[in-house]
Amino acid sequence: MSVITNNNIKSTIALGALQNVMDPEIGLNVVDLGLIYQLDFDEENKIVYCSMTLTTQFCPMGESITDGVKNALQSVFTGDTIMVELTFDPPWNHELISPEGKEFLNR
Amino acid sequence: MLAAATNTNVKNTSYKVVLPFYLYAAFSFLAAAVLLFISTSTFSGHYFQPKILAITHTMALGWGTMIILGASHQLVPVLIESKLYSNTLAYISFILAAIGIPLLVYGFYIFDMGWPAQWGGCLVALAILAYLINIAVSIIKSKSENVHAIFVFTATAWLFFTVVLGLAQVHNFTANILPSDSLHYLTLHAHAGIVGWFLLLVLGIASRLIPMFLISKYNNAKLLWWIYTLINLAILVFIALFLYPGNRVLLFAPVILIFAALNLFIYYCLQAYKQRIRKQVDEQVKLSLLSVLMLLLPVLLLIIVIIFLISTTGEKLNLILTYGFLIFFGWITAIILGMTFKTLPFIVWNKMYHQRSGLGKTPNPKDLFNNNIFKSMAVAYIAGFIIFVIGILTGKDILLKSGAVLLLITALLYNQNVLKVILHKPKQA
Repeated sequence: MSVITNNNIKSTIALGALQNVMDPEIGLNVVDLGLIYQLDFDEENKIVYCSMTLTTQFCPMGESITDGVKNALQSVFTGDTIMVELTFDPPWNHELISPEGKEFLNR
Repeated sequence: MLAAATNTNVKNTSYKVVLPFYLYAAFSFLAAAVLLFISTSTFSGHYFQPKILAITHTMALGWGTMIILGASHQLVPVLIESKLYSNTLAYISFILAAIGIPLLVYGFYIFDMGWPAQWGGCLVALAILAYLINIAVSIIKSKSENVHAIFVFTATAWLFFTVVLGLAQVHNFTANILPSDSLHYLTLHAHAGIVGWFLLLVLGIASRLIPMFLISKYNNAKLLWWIYTLINLAILVFIALFLYPGNRVLLFAPVILIFAALNLFIYYCLQAYKQRIRKQVDEQVKLSLLSVLMLLLPVLLLIIVIIFLISTTGEKLNLILTYGFLIFFGWITAIILGMTFKTLPFIVWNKMYHQRSGLGKTPNPKDLFNNNIFKSMAVAYIAGFIIFVIGILTGKDILLKSGAVLLLITALLYNQNVLKVILHKPKQA
């Protein structure tokens, strides 16, 4: 699934940073795993909004993953406020894994 | 643009609640292995004797139940998609059980059914009551009621029944509170615990975790409801036969129900395995999948035990001892040895590294334990288990001692790896 955004250039930068955030159990990054749904940028108020999901609600690693997303976005958008929203609508499913992610899991 | 409000409320059960259970269970496994080593000669006699009661309760409560309580405080929120109701109740469960279990085991070991066993049993019952309340309120407060949560709740209710009956059996030695002697209730107490608690709970949690770890597309709640019904029906039929004994051939009825439930669960695991997206299956999941197959061994042995019971030969003591050993040192131990290293490293990793996540390279949770020690432990365990079983069946003390040494090595290696994970310190950047 492609990520919804209002700024393609900034979204590319954000996704690059988010590729360093791994799901520690699966060993795959949150972008290829399909956890990132939306990235929006409020230029005027310098706010980065990220809507994301987890593979399961109350995932034991959920806190690490959302902290990782915040940290990674903060590292490339220094000075901006990072707001991460968790959503389970729609819930994550296997179809959201990218072709690269599927290849990694097929190894 | 997204709504301004953010929601990253994914707070899980605190590691402080969970880790003491893991540590306690690891130490109990070691204690049980030591008791097994110094008591091998008792495995050629009757099963109802002090040292075997002490070993069984160390394994059932200190090892199996404590680690399941610990892990389930972490996993129940995943199953019910909601927070655990109370960390305080979880601490209370731990403290009560941690004091009660050694008192009870000591009472059995010296076979004094006075205050240590009575107070120990009472504290264990209160610990389980605290856990039952915690799970029940967590489920009631959650929006999602699903088959896995119902498995866990029903299993806990059976555990409470088992513990209360056990407590009555202990008091019955001194106060005659039951219509018959305590030994009479042993099969009911044991099977309510083994089938109602361990089997129902392990299947309820494993049916969620196995597809999750395999990243499998397979999901079949209807099949799980069938498994749930068959297991509960088996216990109810067993209780009915216990209360109103008829022809002994009827004892096959609950066994057939359990056998059918296990086959459906094996089918469930097989489908989850076939439809997995993640091709590589790690050693820990392999050992857990092996434990699913190991479940069939006690059931098959139980059929043989019943055949002997029906025939004129009567009870075959070594088969009954093997049956109990297959359950506690076989199936339950195998699943715990595997699942400990699929859960504990993640809990500790979460504690150590969640704030550093996304900021650079951190070790993987798998790096927190030593995989070579894990493999050696698995080899020692499988060899020790098989040798000890042959030892019980043949009555040869050399085999019992050799098997017990290997199981003691297993427990030492397990403890070493558990301590390595719990004492892990991040390297300073």
